[in-house]
Amino acid sequence: MTTSLGPPSSEEATGLEAPPSLRVLDRPRLRRLLVLVFMLALIVVLLAPLTATDQADSLGVPQLVDRSQIRILTTIAMFVVMASAWNLVGGLTGYSSFGNVAFFGLGAYTCAVAVDAHRLHLPMAAAIALAPVIPAAFATLVGLPLLRLRGHYFAIATLGTAVAVGEVVKNIDYLGGATGLFPPILHRADLLFLYMMVGAALLAVLVSRLILRSRFGYGLIAIRENEEAAGVIGVNTTAYKVGAFAVAAALTGLAGGVFAVWNSFINQELGFSLDFNIQMILMAVLGGAGTLFGPVLGAIVLELLIQNLAGRSDVAVYAQIGLGLLLAVTVIFVPRGIIAFFGGGSRLSLTHLRRSLRETGV
Amino acid sequence: MQLFLQQVVLGLLIGGVYVAVAIGFSLVWGILNIVNLAHGALVIVGAYLTWLLFARARLDPFLALPIVAVALFAFGYALQRALINRVIRAPLFFTLLLTFGVNLVIVNALLVIFKSDFRSVTPGYSGSGFGIAGVQVPYIRLAALGVAVVVAVAVGWLLNRTRTGAAIQAVGADRDAARLVGIDLRHVYALTFAVAAACAGVAGGLISTIQAITPTAGEPYTLQAFVVVVLGGLGRVGATVVGGLVFGMVETLGQTMVPGLGAGWANAIAFAILVLVLVVRPQGLMGRIA
Repeated sequence: MTTSLGPPSSEEATGLEAPPSLRVLDRPRLRRLLVLVFMLALIVVLLAPLTATDQADSLGVPQLVDRSQIRILTTIAMFVVMASAWNLVGGLTGYSSFGNVAFFGLGAYTCAVAVDAHRLHLPMAAAIALAPVIPAAFATLVGLPLLRLRGHYFAIATLGTAVAVGEVVKNIDYLGGATGLFPPILHRADLLFLYMMVGAALLAVLVSRLILRSRFGYGLIAIRENEEAAGVIGVNTTAYKVGAFAVAAALTGLAGGVFAVWNSFINQELGFSLDFNIQMILMAVLGGAGTLFGPVLGAIVLELLIQNLAGRSDVAVYAQIGLGLLLAVTVIFVPRGIIAFFGGGSRLSLTHLRRSLRETGV
Repeated sequence: MQLFLQQVVLGLLIGGVYVAVAIGFSLVWGILNIVNLAHGALVIVGAYLTWLLFARARLDPFLALPIVAVALFAFGYALQRALINRVIRAPLFFTLLLTFGVNLVIVNALLVIFKSDFRSVTPGYSGSGFGIAGVQVPYIRLAALGVAVVVAVAVGWLLNRTRTGAAIQAVGADRDAARLVGIDLRHVYALTFAVAAACAGVAGGLISTIQAITPTAGEPYTLQAFVVVVLGGLGRVGATVVGGLVFGMVETLGQTMVPGLGAGWANAIAFAILVLVLVVRPQGLMGRIA
C-alpha cells in the first residue's frame, strides 16, 4: 500500500481516465487528417464565394457558387457555432441543455434592437459585439439556479426557459411584439455575412479547442464523469458549470446576432425555434459529443442533408419523417457519433452494432 | 367573486384533462426513466382515432375511448419493444433524441394522412351545460374530468393491487434486482409504455371533444405533462392528480385574473411555475425525495 503515498501520476491527479470520445482524437494520424480536411474545406469555403462577385465576373473567373449556395454555407457556419457551443455544456459537462436556442434568440433580438433606427440605432459592428453580452449575462443569471438541477430536470427546465423567454419577448411591444423586428436590409452583402458567420464558427472552434485542453475543460469533463468527485478534488463545480453555460450562451448569441442582420427579420418563431434547438443537439451528438470536431462535422452533414431534403416544400413532410428516422438510427447505432464511429473507436461492422445495442438496450 | 369562482371551476375542469395527459407521461418517466417527447404525439393520435370513429362510424366520442385505448396500448407496446428498449440504458439525451425522432415521425405521418386541417368532434350535447349559483359547467368538460378520474383510479389500481403492477414498480425501483427475481424486463418495459400510451390515447379522445385538433397540436401537451408531473411530484398517481388540477387552476387564473396577462402568456406562466417549483421544491408538491 505504498503507491498512494508517492507522487500522483497524471491520471490520478485528474482523477479520471480520458473518456473514449477524447481518446479517439488523441490518435495523431486521424487528428492530423481531420485538421487537414477541415483546413482545405475552410479555404474552399472562404475563396469559392469570391467567384460570385462582380469583380470576378469582369475578370472572367467562372462562378463556382451561386447565391443559394452561399446561403447554405452561411447556415452551416451558423450551426457549427451553435453545435460547438452546445457541446461545451452538453458534451463536456454532460448537462444536456434543451434550451440553448434562448441564447440564439436573445442574441438576435439584442442585435436587432441595437441596429434599429427607432430604438438604439447603433452601428452594425457595435450591435454584433453586443449580441453575445446579453445572452451570457442571462445564462449566468438563470444558470445559477438551473444548473443545480440534473438529468431530465435540467433538460426540461432549460427547454421551459427557452419557451418562456420566447413568449415573453413576443409579448413586449418594444421588441416588436408578435410581428418581430426588421433590421435594415443590406444589399449585395451575402459575402459579408458569410465571412462573419464563418468567423463566428472559427471562433467557436477556437474557444472549444482552448477549453478542451485547459484546466477549465478538464474540470468540466470531471463534472460529467462524477460531479461529487470533481468537487472533492477541488473543482468549483458551480463556477465551472455556469462559466461553460455563459461561454456557450455568448457564442450562440453571437450566431443569433449575425443571423438577425443577415436575415433582416427576426420574430419569436425564428429566434426561439424549437427546430434549431433540437438540430444543434442532434448535430453535436451525431458528430460526437465531447469532441472538438464532432459538432462541426455533425453540423455540416446534417445541414447538407436537411437543405437537400427540405429545400423542396412538396417533400418537406417526408424530410421531417426522414429526420426522425435518422435520429432513431443515430441514437441506436452510432451512439458515440460519427467521429468515434469511423475513427477506430468502433468499427463499421455488425459486431459493433450488436455490441452497442447490448450496451444500451435491455 | 363570481368570475373568480367560474375561473376556478373551469381551471379544475381543464386540470382534469391535464391529469389524463400527465398520468402516462409520469408512468414512463418514473418507471422507465424516460422523458417521452413523443407523448403529445400519442395524445394527438388518440384524438384523431376518436375523430375518425366519430366522423366515419358516427360513434359517440366517449364510447370510442375504450377502442382508442386498446389501439394505443398495442401501438405503445410495439414501439417500446421494437425501438425504445434498445436505448433504455443509454445516456439521457439519447432517449430524449429518440423520442423526439418518434415524435417527428408520428406528427408528419399524421400530416400526410390527415393534412393540417382543423378537425373537431362535436356530438349533439357539445356546447350545452348547466349552471349552479351562476357558475356555468359544460357537460363535456365535466365528463372529461370524470373520465380522467376513472383513468387515474384504474392506473392506481393496476399499479398497487395487481401482480403486473407490482412487477412494474419493482422494475422502477431496481432494474437488476427485478431481473434477478425473474421479471422479464423487456415485457414489463413494453407493458408500462403501452399503459402510458393507452392513457395518452384516452386523453387525446377527451381533447378532441374540447378543442379543434391538428397533427401539430400535441407539442404543448408534452410540455404541460412535464410541468404537471414536476409540480405534483414524480412517482405516484395521486401526486399527478393534484399536480394536474393545481396546474389547470393556476394557468386559468393566471391568464384571466392577473392584469396584463392574457392567453398569449399560457406557456410563460406554465414555465415560470415549472422553474420555480424545480428550484424551490424539486420533489414537487406531493413528492417524496427521489
